[in-house]
Amino acid sequence: MAGLRRVPEFLVIWVPLLIASGQIVVFTAWTTWLSFTPSTLMPTDGFVGLRNYTSVLATRNWKIAFDNLLIFGSGFVVLTMLTGLVLAVLIDQRIRGENVLRSIFLYPLAVSFVVTGTVWSWLLNPGMGIQKLVNDLGWSGFRFDWLVDRDMAIWTIVVAGIWQSSGFAMALFLAGLRSVEADLIKAAQIDGAGPWRLYTRVILPTLWPIMIAVLVILLQTAIRTFDLVRALTGGGPGIATQLPSLVVYDFMFQRGQLGRGAAAAVLLLLTLLAVLLPYAIWKRVQARRAANA
Amino acid sequence: MTHLSRRALIAASTAAALAPRLAAAQAKPRLTAISQWSAGSDGAAISALGKKFDEKGGIWQHSPVPGFTTEMMNKLRAQILAGDPPACSQLKGPEIAAWSKIAPTVNLDATVAAAGYEKVVAPDLARLHKPGGKWAALPLQIYRTNTLFVSKRGLDRAKADKLPTTWAEFNTLAEKMKSAGMASPIANGGTRSDDGQKFEACLAGISPAAYRAAIMNLDAKALKGPEVKAAFVQLRKLSDWMDPNVAAQPYASNLAKFVAGDMGMMIQGGWAQGVLLNAGFKIDDFIIAPGPTDNGKPVFILNADAFIFWQRKEADLQAGQKLMAELVMDPAIQTMYSQITGSIPVRTDVDLSGPGWSDGQREAARTLKDSLAANQVVLSLAHNMAQENGMTAAMIDVLTEYVKNRTITPDQAVARLTEAVESSR
Repeated sequence: MAGLRRVPEFLVIWVPLLIASGQIVVFTAWTTWLSFTPSTLMPTDGFVGLRNYTSVLATRNWKIAFDNLLIFGSGFVVLTMLTGLVLAVLIDQRIRGENVLRSIFLYPLAVSFVVTGTVWSWLLNPGMGIQKLVNDLGWSGFRFDWLVDRDMAIWTIVVAGIWQSSGFAMALFLAGLRSVEADLIKAAQIDGAGPWRLYTRVILPTLWPIMIAVLVILLQTAIRTFDLVRALTGGGPGIATQLPSLVVYDFMFQRGQLGRGAAAAVLLLLTLLAVLLPYAIWKRVQARRAANA
Repeated sequence: MTHLSRRALIAASTAAALAPRLAAAQAKPRLTAISQWSAGSDGAAISALGKKFDEKGGIWQHSPVPGFTTEMMNKLRAQILAGDPPACSQLKGPEIAAWSKIAPTVNLDATVAAAGYEKVVAPDLARLHKPGGKWAALPLQIYRTNTLFVSKRGLDRAKADKLPTTWAEFNTLAEKMKSAGMASPIANGGTRSDDGQKFEACLAGISPAAYRAAIMNLDAKALKGPEVKAAFVQLRKLSDWMDPNVAAQPYASNLAKFVAGDMGMMIQGGWAQGVLLNAGFKIDDFIIAPGPTDNGKPVFILNADAFIFWQRKEADLQAGQKLMAELVMDPAIQTMYSQITGSIPVRTDVDLSGPGWSDGQREAARTLKDSLAANQVVLSLAHNMAQENGMTAAMIDVLTEYVKNRTITPDQAVARLTEAVESSR
């Protein structure tokens, strides 16, 4: 203990921080550099300008992947937040067995996306999952075959994603709901606000910093989703459920085209920055406002 | 006196020059190897090979990298980047030539010549393992990807007794099975290679010459040719007979239905025999036959696993590489290996009449010989034998989308395939 005390405090924080940020910066820079080289199986020198970018952007795979990212990103984020919020409000009613319910809803988060994907691939498979169950129960006309429907398959990923993440959104929202000052609620009730007005006008408006945080976390989860698709649809039917992260992996490691894969990775990073930069700026503005106030 | 001492000097210096070689000969041969084969019959086979290596006085150091082939390749890439490649690693098809450009490989010419091996290997296959005209890799076992598996009960259910040999007969039988009440007469998996494999079986069955020109040589005219279009027409028929619910499941998830006669036929690699038997089904539950061919002569779509040998300076590793090469070429070892995995030997001179072989394996080996004589052995696209991985993936994108999307017409598919090839060249 005494020996440990002699270590200057700044070393404890700064050394790991420098190593971690060094890794991120160095590898990002390396990937960006690779995206301008003619690298195939191995990193090589040379400069090919934007050729890797133009060829990635021209592939059907990338177009499909990016369209899917828009559908999946918006569907997953909006619906997860909505589900999480509804669950949080319901649990907030001081119901019995709250702890048990909260654990149940939070539990999917403890399961990895690969497991989630595999289980849902069985549930959603029309030949052995939900559709077959309902058919066997007598409703023989029941159809639920999104998994093998090219246009709907991306929504199966949304469904599995919601199942996995809405508990997480619920937990954060619930913490937010609980931190609303009791005086505020009492004052509203004395003024005669019903439960609906109480939530929409008083409680939820205080939640919005948490909403932004949840939004950003879910968005960046959506953008880097990989294992869920891999396990649930394998990118299929055909190539209908490709996502950009799968395309990066595919180019780099399956097709042996490091340059193109790096270009796709940089494009993905730019997408992520488009989400994170506005958030960082917003945080800064908030902080300044708080300091001025 | 001076004369004698000079002679002594020469003798001494020769001895000195030979000493390291002698030491090398005395060093115990050691082999570091990586492959993806860790479990099931693949794992059992390579362990058996390692045991033989140990028995010959070697030290076998195999590090399996389980999972997809790409994971094994990532490990290989990392080791090459670090300047420490394994003495020997799994690698197949045109990737052998591609990877041999990024790190020096061993020249196996002398060892191969000493074994008289080249005479007994299919020429197209040998070419893949000789980048720049020198043997750098050795094929280990062969599978046929256009093997037709027919369900015995499915055949009875359709009241048929004759196995189809042409695509027309195949289509008639599938229709018969369909009208006998089978919702999906073709058992299929939903993976990319499954879809690619169906296409290659169609095209090679229709015209092996067109397959060679379009798929193996990427001839622009052949790619747009009538045979490729005919193959897409046939592939559409197959996809209509497949179970639409298969999603991304592997083909093995359909095996129970196939054996029960709810699905009648399956076009798969020879490895499906081992998978069926491992799943507890009997050898007389199904019939193995060559895939349909329209020109009256057998067609063999070839898939082969191989080992590539990376240059190492250590004497014990070099000795290990030589021993490994000799073992891989040895007919007894190839027999042992193929009997475990269900493949057929690379050597065309191995006798398969013994009790360790199945009728399916005997038939495949016979067809390989006959197809070689008819110059109708072609390399598999779906299993990365015909093109490098980048080109293969671009082509399979088109094929898998076509199988899953019934609104794409054969003409559109031909145009997309051509486009995919052009953009990946």
